[in-house]
Amino acid sequence: MIDQTTGPSPIVSLGVRAATPLALVIAVFVFFAGHNRPGGGFAAGLLIGAVLVLRSIAGFPLPFRAIPLLATGTIIACTVALAPMLWGNVFLDQVVVEQTLPLLGKVKSGSALVFDIGVTLIVSGLIVAVLDGFRADHLATPPPDLANEKTNAENSS
Amino acid sequence: MLWSLLVVHLLGVAVVSMVGARLARWSFLVAALPMAFSATVAAIALVDQTTTRAEFTWVGPLDLTIALRLDAFSSFIALLVSGIGVLVCVYAAGYFSASAQGLGRFAATLLGFSAAMLGLVLADTVWTMFLSWELTSITSFLLVGHQRTDPVARTAARRALVITAGGGLVLLGGFVVLNDAAPGRYLSDLEPVTGTGATVAAILILIAAATKSAQVPFHIWLPGAMKAPTPVSAYLHSATMVKAGVVLVAVASPALAQTSVWTPLGVTFGTASMVWGAIGALRHLDAKLILAWGTVSQLGLMIVLLSFGSGKAVFAAISILFAHAIFKAALFMIVGEIDIRTGTRDIRELSGLYRSMPLAYGVALVSSLSMAGVPPMLGFPAKEAAVEAALGLSGGERTVALVAIIGGSVLTVAYTARFILTVFHGGNGTPTAVAPRRWLMAAPAAFLGACTLFGFAFLGNITDWVRPAAVTINNKAEVYSLIRWPGLTDAFLISAGIVAAGAALGWAISRRATDTAPRTIGADTVDMSIDGSITIARHIAARVQHGSLPGYVLTMVAVAALATIPFIGAIDFDMITGADNAAQMVLAIFVAASAVASTQVRTRLGAALVLGSVGFAIAGLFVTSGAPDLVLTQLLVETVIVVGFVLGLGRLTTTFPRHGALWQTTRIGVSLMAAAAVAVGLTASARGPVPASNVERLSDEAVSEGGGKNVVNVILTDIRALDTLGEIVVLVVVAVGVLALLRRRPEVVLSPDEPSRLPEPTDNLTGADR
Repeated sequence: MIDQTTGPSPIVSLGVRAATPLALVIAVFVFFAGHNRPGGGFAAGLLIGAVLVLRSIAGFPLPFRAIPLLATGTIIACTVALAPMLWGNVFLDQVVVEQTLPLLGKVKSGSALVFDIGVTLIVSGLIVAVLDGFRADHLATPPPDLANEKTNAENSS
Repeated sequence: MLWSLLVVHLLGVAVVSMVGARLARWSFLVAALPMAFSATVAAIALVDQTTTRAEFTWVGPLDLTIALRLDAFSSFIALLVSGIGVLVCVYAAGYFSASAQGLGRFAATLLGFSAAMLGLVLADTVWTMFLSWELTSITSFLLVGHQRTDPVARTAARRALVITAGGGLVLLGGFVVLNDAAPGRYLSDLEPVTGTGATVAAILILIAAATKSAQVPFHIWLPGAMKAPTPVSAYLHSATMVKAGVVLVAVASPALAQTSVWTPLGVTFGTASMVWGAIGALRHLDAKLILAWGTVSQLGLMIVLLSFGSGKAVFAAISILFAHAIFKAALFMIVGEIDIRTGTRDIRELSGLYRSMPLAYGVALVSSLSMAGVPPMLGFPAKEAAVEAALGLSGGERTVALVAIIGGSVLTVAYTARFILTVFHGGNGTPTAVAPRRWLMAAPAAFLGACTLFGFAFLGNITDWVRPAAVTINNKAEVYSLIRWPGLTDAFLISAGIVAAGAALGWAISRRATDTAPRTIGADTVDMSIDGSITIARHIAARVQHGSLPGYVLTMVAVAALATIPFIGAIDFDMITGADNAAQMVLAIFVAASAVASTQVRTRLGAALVLGSVGFAIAGLFVTSGAPDLVLTQLLVETVIVVGFVLGLGRLTTTFPRHGALWQTTRIGVSLMAAAAVAVGLTASARGPVPASNVERLSDEAVSEGGGKNVVNVILTDIRALDTLGEIVVLVVVAVGVLALLRRRPEVVLSPDEPSRLPEPTDNLTGADR
């Protein structure tokens, strides 16, 4: 845990900072891998959530609030669920699209992928909500050297 | 076409709620536009005598159909609802001061109520009617409680809601039984039914009608509802909401009038209300309350007539409904005008108004004479028709009807006379100070007064509207007309006697000085029982919702464990085998050892880590069983949980508190139960082998339909996507719950007397911990 007087250890915060982009890339990979191999929206959401929990422990503030994540996820999932009805198909009907793209070659995808984006957002939103409930932001009282880094991160994002 | 009526209303509600804050009291004029539209449509249908239907099947297999029907009866009532609605909106624009707050919301609610009422009138299936019925209850609750900071208004609104919404539940029961007994698709072509089911339906529907139409003993909410701004009273308590019960009785009577309870029960409700309402109107000192009690009495008369159900009685009931809507709306408007211009409605303080408010006096006089049934007003032929209807019955019914109608009418004339004498001619010589006239208030009332007069002049046209409406309910009504001058018939002589006796009684009572304003008998009992049930609910909730997290978890786990008892018999012991390989054995021992260790650890952090090791070892077991998807998910979930624990533990003491022996034993007992339950559940569910064809079919479908090779994921996002959708909705609900609960300060208790103010979420840590 964080010693409130000195802040988190620099090893932890550096490690977490280094791990973040890597974990996010893995999350994206897991998300798309779900089509044919283990992975998928739920796992990707958990990965993003795990990154956020780690960052909270290391004293970084939460990058976003839970409500926008949850709302966007719900809207996406419900839209995908309802949209087929506009064309006279059944609720939650799936559309598969197959196309050959430059660089990537033959890509096959479907509306289930979009549905999975909703799942990812909601799962990570739930974790953010719990962190918010714990007031994880309160742990984020970065020591001076970290505070500098934080403002940089905010400016760049 | 019919849908457009409702759509225009709902669009109006949206527009008024958006621009209402800027328009203030002029938002009422915007709200009047949809009403004017539907009044025009209804008037055209009424004059042309056309019947239009519209329907929308919502859930076909359940026969849930929303259907509307604009016929002679519904266009007649719809014209009243929307036409008086327009006048009330104009009146409201004059009633409220320029600085009044929240008028946009109020106008939008008023329009919403009008839409619900229109839906109720046009409804052609029981479900449409039930839906609209409930909407009128809710919107009227909001309208009565418009002054939401006023505790009296809040109590009155709550009382009205409890009684009318309770009636709504009874109505639902009645409709379900009716739908079973008389399986007609539309309300308009229900066949007459008898039998037990029909009798039950008749009782329930009459009770529901009595709650809405303020019949004794359910009338208690109506006097309280007078706390609402006067435009609401003029609209809801003259033309519309209280007429909903009458409409219901009219619509249901073709089907249920043959049952043995229909007439006796309806006549009992109606007669009791006629008499008790009239007595109330004679007792009270507030001019608005006098009118409210008069409404109870008049509605009683309509219910009596509809319950007898003969052609003439139905015809008379509809005539009275029409006349009553016009004169009662006008009288309420006048009382509101008096209230605004003099600052009081107390008849003891009003003096010399017949001289200082001549126009209002004229309108009130015309409307009161109509209420008393004196020519040349619209109320006279209507009252004549009622007396004729009573004379036209035979045997015991004739006696009952005559006594009820004559008795009720004498009292009606008496309170009408008292109303005019005390409000306009009362006082002790010093005239009450009167503010200048507001034309927006005076004009609608004057228009209605003129309608009462012209209605008598053009009685033939009124008959042309009333008769087809009555024929819709009972086709024997075809031969009747409203008669301007009947000659010296029995009915006319009876009417003359009624007016003479009533006027004398009213004059005598208005002489009598009363000092204290009477209270509505029964209102306190209702309020006390509402408060009582809230108190009891709080006590029960405090016991059940004790707020101890270990207690909740213990209860839930114990109940869930008990649920597996039925499956004990389903266990196939032959299926239980040892480990498939050595790795499984090692992992299983590790899981068991970690589980035991977790009970022995004294520090919370240690316990969290040991629990995590159980989870990771189980992920290992999944690896040995060849389930990569489960492994991935399990690993991720465990990671998040363990790290989350570490984060959460910062709020708690580092070691577990010590527990008493009993609590400790209980926890161990429940834990063992849970362990046994999981074991039973797993073994029982693994009993029969999964048919290989299922697996094959799913694998094939995943590739052909879902387009993916990961069967688990295709099942999640495509084949069983509905389940996933349900699950993520649960996640959202949990997340919102977490946000709401953890941010709230638990010590805040809302006092019922204060406007509800939720505290701002605070950012200090202590607030959340306490």
